Amino acid sequence: MTARAGHISIKDVTKIFARTDLNATLVALESVSMEIEPTEFVSIVGTSGCGKSTLLRIIAGLETVTFGQAYCDGEPISGTNPKRGLVFQEHSLFPWLSVRDNIAFGLRAAGKFKSLAGLVDKLISLVGLSEFANSYPHQLSGGMRQRVSLARAIAVSPDVLLLDEPLGALDSFTRMNMQDELLKLWHEHKNTMILITHDVDEAIYLSQRIYIMSPRPGRIAGEIPLRMSYPRNRSSSEFVNVRNEILRKLDFAKEEQVEYNL
Amino acid sequence: MTDKTASLTAEPVSAADGRRLESRAPTPWELRQIEAAPKSKNRIAADRAICTLPLIIAVIVVAQYKMTPNLNDAATTNLYTGFILLMTSLVLIKYIRSFFSKTSFERLLERAPLYSVGFLLFALYDYATLKTGILPLPYFPWPDRILNGIYEDRVLLLDCVKNSLILLFSGYFAGASIGLFTGLSAGLSRRVRYWVLPLVQVLGPIPSTTWLPIILIVAASLFGGSVFLIALGVWYPLTMTSMQGVLNIPKANFEAARILGASKARLLFRVALPAAMPNIFQGLTQGMSVACTALMVAEMMGVESGLGWYINWQRGWAEFAKMYGAVIVICVTFSIVNFLLSFIKRRVLRWQEGYWN
Ligand SMILES: Nc1ncnc2c1ncn2[C@@H]1O[C@H](COP(=O)(O)OP(=O)(O)O)[C@@H](O)[C@H]1O
Ligand SMILES: [Mg+2]
Repeated sequence: MTARAGHISIKDVTKIFARTDLNATLVALESVSMEIEPTEFVSIVGTSGCGKSTLLRIIAGLETVTFGQAYCDGEPISGTNPKRGLVFQEHSLFPWLSVRDNIAFGLRAAGKFKSLAGLVDKLISLVGLSEFANSYPHQLSGGMRQRVSLARAIAVSPDVLLLDEPLGALDSFTRMNMQDELLKLWHEHKNTMILITHDVDEAIYLSQRIYIMSPRPGRIAGEIPLRMSYPRNRSSSEFVNVRNEILRKLDFAKEEQVEYNL
Repeated sequence: MTDKTASLTAEPVSAADGRRLESRAPTPWELRQIEAAPKSKNRIAADRAICTLPLIIAVIVVAQYKMTPNLNDAATTNLYTGFILLMTSLVLIKYIRSFFSKTSFERLLERAPLYSVGFLLFALYDYATLKTGILPLPYFPWPDRILNGIYEDRVLLLDCVKNSLILLFSGYFAGASIGLFTGLSAGLSRRVRYWVLPLVQVLGPIPSTTWLPIILIVAASLFGGSVFLIALGVWYPLTMTSMQGVLNIPKANFEAARILGASKARLLFRVALPAAMPNIFQGLTQGMSVACTALMVAEMMGVESGLGWYINWQRGWAEFAKMYGAVIVICVTFSIVNFLLSFIKRRVLRWQEGYWN
């Protein structure tokens, strides 16, 4: 049996953006390192602007690094690859394609649509959109759109699924349902999951490990392993303890930033 | 009526007057009926009268034409009568259908005032020309005369329509495809944009017909020259709109496609092209009107065939009836072309928000 694919390694990555508006540069990430094992579910939490999306985009291959190197399964990451799927923060669905065709986009690009046409229908019903298979994105609610994004990303069975606040725009009820669906998907597909969220509970509910990031410049401020078994109880004492620990660390990261600015 | 209301109130009621939602979702037409205010008896009778109005006026048109004496006892034919009766029977078909289908009724109700005024204008024009000469010959031939002009030259006119359409679409397709190509590639590539933009800025403001005198001399064939002229006029709006369309596409769409493994060709044909379609159709519509203008000018100035040539040629003979006839044929031809274009547009842009309203 071969080793599972989906290992992500970030080695000392620094990302500096040119800010065209100020004729200045901005350090978005500074010396960030992380190791993510195949099939692991990892979350990244941090205040907005601390470079979470940038980090994810680097792993996706949409952004180049300034210093350091990011690797996927030992290979340096350069450019996008369907092995690393990404679900965006906002709906990036193709408005001119129906739900079915959106989900089939990746399979068509890979030339596998003919042999895997059944998979599309399976995914549509998996995310509960059978009735809307022929609807266009603007006819769907926000939650439905994110389901389509999710189905579109997993249709090409990526080894690594990158999730950039995929549930950020949803109401808390839909959100909890989708969290369970994410877990179901992960248990079924056994791929590496890297989730960005600003919802600490969501991170604890879903992941095996949580990275805490601090802003300006974006750094890893802490790392918390979680050993609770799934499904997790949001009101258990262990859950609450971890939540307090993370909130403390996030607060500390914020204080550090105040000092830094002074 | 009363017992129906009674039976309805026994069930869950949603609207004040007892209308409610059936267990299945309503069709769009039913939805409009549910949401519309209920009509009174008088209103229904008035609506029916409005639907009947065009038929009544059509009868008056024919009676006026047939029964009142012509100025100077001018000879007339039955062609005009036949034409009005043809129009009338088209309305009559809709009228009969309106008794069986509510959708047809609503549609006819909406169109009936237009039809009525249309028929009325025929009557007025006929009265002002044939009957009284308020609008004098030879400049204002009466409708029957114009129709006879068209009928006499029908073979020639049909040939002209054919030649005009061949020229129009040769130029239109050439200009549209080249414009699409330059516009899309300029939208996608900064380097292409660097070269295309100045070219467009210099050539764009020049009306394409400006080149006609030069083309008449330089072009090896008049047809080829005219195709070039029309294509040039279409090329400009298509380049601009398709470039703008690509530049407007959200970056996330391209990124999502790249992440899903789309090749360069797929990015162009499956992302950039469909995403820019709303803009492209704007360009296609603009381009069509430019193309029709260029076609007429080219045919009047040089090309010895087509509707533009015909109208100009009849001017030489001072055949006003035939000139008006040609105007009508041109109007019908271009209307059909534009109808086809907007039909295709509606099909292609079905995905757009607001399309269903
Ligand atoms: N393309 C870009 N050009 C310039 N600055 C950028 C760009 N992308 C992100 N940034 C900056 O980098 C920082 C981190 O952004 P981001 O990764 O989106 O943060 P987060 O996702 O944690 O909210 C922000 O200050 C943002 O303004
Ligand atoms: Mg972000």
